[in-house]
Amino acid sequence: MSFLKKIEIKSKVLLLKEFFYDYFWKKSSLNLGLASLILSFAIIQFSTPQFYISATLRENQESGSSSPSLGGGSNGLISIVSSDSNSFDEFRSNIYSYIIAQRMWEKGWATEIYAGGDKSIDVNKIEKPHTLADHLGALFLGYKLYDFYSPHDLQAFISSKVNLQKEIRGANITVSMLTSDQNFGLSFLNELILNADKYAKEFLILKSQAIIDGTYKQLAVSRNSAITASLAATINRESLQIATLKNDLPYHIYFIDPPYSSEYPVTPNTLAIFISNFIIFIFLSVMYNFIRINKEDLW
Amino acid sequence: MVNGYFRYIDYGGSLEYYIFELANFSFLALLLCLCYKLRFININSLIVWSGIFFLPLVLNYFIFSPSLFPDQFQYASEVMSLKSKGVSIDNIASQNAKFSLNLWSISIPTNPITLSTTFLGFAPIPNFMTVTSLAFANKFFLFLSFLGLKKFFFKDENALLLFFLIPSLLLYSSLALRETLIIICSVFFLLNMLKNNYILSLIFMLPLFFLKIQMFAFLALYFVGRLIFRANNSFYMLVFFLGFVLLASIILQDEILQTLNYYRQGFAAENMDLGDGIYGYYAFSLYGDELAKSLELTSMLEVIWVSIIGLPKLLLMPYPNTWSNIFYPIQFFESIFLIFLYWSIAVRNNLLKNKEFIYLSVILLLSCMLYSLLVFNVGTFVRYRFSLFFPFIIAIYYVATLERGNKIKLLA
Repeated sequence: MSFLKKIEIKSKVLLLKEFFYDYFWKKSSLNLGLASLILSFAIIQFSTPQFYISATLRENQESGSSSPSLGGGSNGLISIVSSDSNSFDEFRSNIYSYIIAQRMWEKGWATEIYAGGDKSIDVNKIEKPHTLADHLGALFLGYKLYDFYSPHDLQAFISSKVNLQKEIRGANITVSMLTSDQNFGLSFLNELILNADKYAKEFLILKSQAIIDGTYKQLAVSRNSAITASLAATINRESLQIATLKNDLPYHIYFIDPPYSSEYPVTPNTLAIFISNFIIFIFLSVMYNFIRINKEDLW
Repeated sequence: MVNGYFRYIDYGGSLEYYIFELANFSFLALLLCLCYKLRFININSLIVWSGIFFLPLVLNYFIFSPSLFPDQFQYASEVMSLKSKGVSIDNIASQNAKFSLNLWSISIPTNPITLSTTFLGFAPIPNFMTVTSLAFANKFFLFLSFLGLKKFFFKDENALLLFFLIPSLLLYSSLALRETLIIICSVFFLLNMLKNNYILSLIFMLPLFFLKIQMFAFLALYFVGRLIFRANNSFYMLVFFLGFVLLASIILQDEILQTLNYYRQGFAAENMDLGDGIYGYYAFSLYGDELAKSLELTSMLEVIWVSIIGLPKLLLMPYPNTWSNIFYPIQFFESIFLIFLYWSIAVRNNLLKNKEFIYLSVILLLSCMLYSLLVFNVGTFVRYRFSLFFPFIIAIYYVATLERGNKIKLLA
């Protein structure tokens, strides 16, 4: 029992009671608790419900950036983490690139995003609003603000909205975005992924074509049989590359799960907002009373 | 029991993010007020800990992007998956890392991420909604450890408080990483050892086997040396113990070299950057053969020599020529300060001839030497070094308090 005596339960319970009545059980707690409910209502009312759209992809193991066999002691090591981060990085760069934004623009996505789907508006004449900070910046630094949206804005939209994640030491890639319009999100994400992948293929076809053209020129002036054979092999290899790329199959990635939407909006999280605001406001009330009572100690 | 309330959505630095995390901070601050009222902490601790609890709110998203420490997302996703669905995220679940106890039909996760998030998930904070929530869980356990240290080991609360203001501790405990748990386990292991509570020490040491195997190895070495060889009691026993370690490492040379070379190559590969987006394991798979050969250690003598040469680098990094973010200069000066603090505590409290201190320092030195063999990634090893160094500093401070009582001197 000496153990219990040491803890001094009785005095601790008394202190707890004192804490409760001195800091918590006050009118200010009730007022602020009610204020938290009002604020939570306001936040929820002013928030746009957003659906979570995501697609699960996997890197295509046959894509161009596969690594050659390893030597020495590194074999075992690489087998632990054999993911081709290079391929993922390339796909990621394509998704966020200006060229993809431009292609999406040409397909009319700007109308969906900036003109509310009104197809009667010319895609290049969608008016762009500017904030006061933009106007001030332009005024002081002496540059002109653009009146209309451009593919640059669409690129910024993609960068800020679309999220790409690859599991650490995993193979799956998750492409996701939050949007208030499920249908828009599903088709936008799908087209964005396909365009990014297609662009990678087109780039490689162009690259192979350029290598073939250059190699033919070399072949025409080559007098050495060994070099000629090597150049011919290069042409064969690049031609095969073009043949394998000229199809509708995915290059960098393939879909494990095509874009799908959450059934209900995932944000704002109503319960979490209510609970969080309530805790914050009760804390403010307790702090107010705490500082008032202990101001001598605190200062 | 699972709770759909916690679901991983990337809230970024939005209003919702700040509402959720401010609620976590409020809860911890309330706890702090309660502890003050119950006289568990003094007014200085109340003020300082309020600041420490506020820190996670101003780091992630506010001062720097959380992707500066990308592992955080893995931890956050895992804790939310465990709380909302009761299972690990896909890539962790596929590893099926569990230790089953058939007798009681229970299984303990052995994946370090699952184990640490399971533990951090016990923190009674209101929200596990964003990447910063686990940082608040870390703060909660750090505060508990402060209370524990104050109650069972140190009388001077204000001096103890100063140790919790070391920048690296503030930083790592403000992130969703497992560093805080490793530090807490290591600190309580060492202090309980110094108090001869071997069973308690063992309880604190075991989680380290899964959380950070190398830390477990260092502390296990200390455990064996103290318990079996009594290397803390006499200089001769310490020499005998070191001789035994050397003999064992020569006998097991092949296995030790194989493991060391494996990790050396692994860390070197992780840090390899050839430019043009070719980096990491991919770069190593292309051009790593030469590097792998140059890194290979072939004898224990070479191991000792390379580790001694690498010690200054490990102790003082990040060097000014590698400063690439705001934390590096702070960590550089902090590393100098920590060495000075270690020396200062020892000299000003006459510990240089204290056998306990000597034994602790020898184990710290051996651990640092081993780490120095693997230093290729500065950011990672600054973190590793701190989680090794900090528990030993607390331990020697405790030795000093045992030696000098209330007349303890830190710096002045």
